Amino acid sequence: MTDKLKSTLWPLSIGVLTLLIWQLGGFHALLDLKPFQLPVPTGIASTLAQNLTKALRDCGITVSGAIVGMIIGSSIGFLIAVVATVFPKWGYGGLTVVSAFNAIPIVALSPIMNRWFSTGMGQKIGVVTVVTMAAMAINAYRGLTDLKPFSLDLMKSYAANRRTVFFRLRLPNCLPSVFTALKINITSSMIAAIVSEYFATSTSGLGFGIKDNLRKAEMAMGWSYITIAALAGIVLYLIISMVERRAVKWHASQRIK
Amino acid sequence: MNKNKTLVLLVWFAGIFALWELGAFSLVNIFHDKMAASKLPYPHEVIATLAKNWQTLSEAGAVTFSKAATGFALGASIGIILAILMSISKIAEQIAFPYLIVSQMIPVLGLAPIIFNLVRNMDASRIIIAAYITFFPVAANMLSGLKSVDIDKRELMYSYAAKKPSIYMKLMLPFSLPYLFSGLKIAAPLSVTASILVDMLGSKNGIGVKLLYSLYGGTKDIFWASVFTSALMGIISYFIVIIAERIFIPWKKEFNTKAGED
Amino acid sequence: MNAAAEIQIESVSMFYKDNKGNDIHALNNVSIDIQKGEFISLLGPSGCGKTTLLRIIADLLEPSMGKVTVCGQTPKETRMQQKYGIVFQNPVLYDWRTVKNNVRLPLEMMKINKTEQNSRIEKQLELVGLTNFKNHYPHQLSGGMQQRVGIARALAIQPEILLMDEPFSALDEFTREKLNEDLLRIWSKTNKTVIFVTHNISESVFLSDRVCVLSPHPGRLSAIVDIDLPRPRTREIRETPEFFSLVSKIRNSFEGV
Repeated sequence: MTDKLKSTLWPLSIGVLTLLIWQLGGFHALLDLKPFQLPVPTGIASTLAQNLTKALRDCGITVSGAIVGMIIGSSIGFLIAVVATVFPKWGYGGLTVVSAFNAIPIVALSPIMNRWFSTGMGQKIGVVTVVTMAAMAINAYRGLTDLKPFSLDLMKSYAANRRTVFFRLRLPNCLPSVFTALKINITSSMIAAIVSEYFATSTSGLGFGIKDNLRKAEMAMGWSYITIAALAGIVLYLIISMVERRAVKWHASQRIK
Repeated sequence: MNKNKTLVLLVWFAGIFALWELGAFSLVNIFHDKMAASKLPYPHEVIATLAKNWQTLSEAGAVTFSKAATGFALGASIGIILAILMSISKIAEQIAFPYLIVSQMIPVLGLAPIIFNLVRNMDASRIIIAAYITFFPVAANMLSGLKSVDIDKRELMYSYAAKKPSIYMKLMLPFSLPYLFSGLKIAAPLSVTASILVDMLGSKNGIGVKLLYSLYGGTKDIFWASVFTSALMGIISYFIVIIAERIFIPWKKEFNTKAGED
Repeated sequence: MNAAAEIQIESVSMFYKDNKGNDIHALNNVSIDIQKGEFISLLGPSGCGKTTLLRIIADLLEPSMGKVTVCGQTPKETRMQQKYGIVFQNPVLYDWRTVKNNVRLPLEMMKINKTEQNSRIEKQLELVGLTNFKNHYPHQLSGGMQQRVGIARALAIQPEILLMDEPFSALDEFTREKLNEDLLRIWSKTNKTVIFVTHNISESVFLSDRVCVLSPHPGRLSAIVDIDLPRPRTREIRETPEFFSLVSKIRNSFEGV
């Protein structure tokens, strides 16, 4: 119990200390910055409070683009994994091609999507879709094919056909990996959405807000957008983790220690 | 088996190339899209442009890539050191671990413009942001490696009355190498992305600048060649890590064959 | 107490709490004297505390009560001076080291010079019959071969005592019997004091000078049986009436199983 207390107190006190040093100008002295270059925490907080409605609206735009893109991208990725499982020989090559997609920098994708979609939302969804495809395809494939020893033999002993094997064995088996992919994807979809907004033609969203406010030297406003983006990322991640905990109760990683 | 796999991959790439050609063809000749050349140019034309502008593109790419590599090395080193510190000291772990977890949930690249604004130096911000984005997956994976060392492997060291430094040199670090490399594999393309992003935020040179110029008009035809170049950079960074993995982890199962039974 | 005994176990008891908070009485008042050069087995079913006792001798655990003296020293001193070699139930090889470098590991820890290291490695690998596999990685070897590497590694430090914790229990019967014979051959050449933990009655009879029979709940010493079979022992001895009568004598000495 005291150990648990310690493990919350330590990081918390360090966090508070950092904020305090920041507030009192420690970082400004250290990095030779003026307050207008690096706003203090209270300044950021009050700016955020004043512009909360606008910031939340922008946040909603970014988050909805990220989620829609993630759903489309993850679905395509999952389909690829299923195809690769059903047709192992050719499917595996497709998986390799998809993972090569993974190495394409997001920043190169957003200009392409600029050309394909006229709206900011379409473009955002396009970028997020491509970015989230690979992680899901690779993880889901692992879950669908990496079966416990003898489980396939057990199915064969029941004279199960491929269809039954797929639905009774492979599909439940891949659930933990699917959630691993979703947790990776929720973060990368936020990153992709924000980065695509840096270069978008539209004038909304967190990414645009960050970039535009910094350009206009509205530093406190830029930082409050960063704060919102970070909070949104954490909340989304926690939601996925909660769903995961309900969905895969049987998995070893969920066991109470 | 391996030859077969290569063949499958070749067929795949040929198929994608053909499909792309077909797509570009139909965009021009069936849909009569006036923007066809900018939306989806013929891949053979992109490759031709790439070849023609190879000099400038590779120079720009090299600038971006070298900064990404410096940042990557820096971030990876800091990540490794922090992970080791966290595994040695309970207090260090208690302080840093929650932040490490949370930082994996937040869109770190969103911070890029801020850092760029604070530092105001192109090269330095490229390195800092690449290092920053490399740091998290490396530290997290390395730490999970250090924490996964089997208890009986540690007991063997204890039975030798081994001291901390040799326990780390002979057991903990080699054991965590595979974990470290999965972190590095995630981080390598990210560091390239980070470096390109800084290019696009207002650098004077680098492949990102080529992307940006062609995005807002001007040299239109070079755009797709620039996209190709940056994709290539990401893929190359990944394969460099793969090759390094083969060199540093020669004991990995896939690289060897079984000797025989008793 | 016999002052000449190499290892003296004097009224050792061990209590601990398991992870559910229940009190476990692992060992109750166990006393054994072990002579220099003796091959002694600790035999019993699971829960009898045989492994616990071995781990106390190896200084991997501290007894709750009682005392263990090894070569006139505490177990900790013997561990610090590397007077024992230990072989675990699993081979516990380091995956990143080749066979020869696994054997080299304890020698590096003892700061023995390179030429001496190499000559000892050659000698030990020859003894366990793995000279041809010295450059292989552990995962390339079968379970029996891996366990041989473990034995070579334990012998390489030229310890006075060899502690073996169910070293062959994970192997099939054929491999186990082969390794039993190999172990006796190695032991006759090196003349170490061996403490051998096992739950296999015929294995303990085949190998030992004396068998300490331990019974569970609480773990206690129920008998010490002298094995007066002639040495050197070969596989034929397993078929003799004397062997069978010793096996049944031991089987009858268990309490409360």
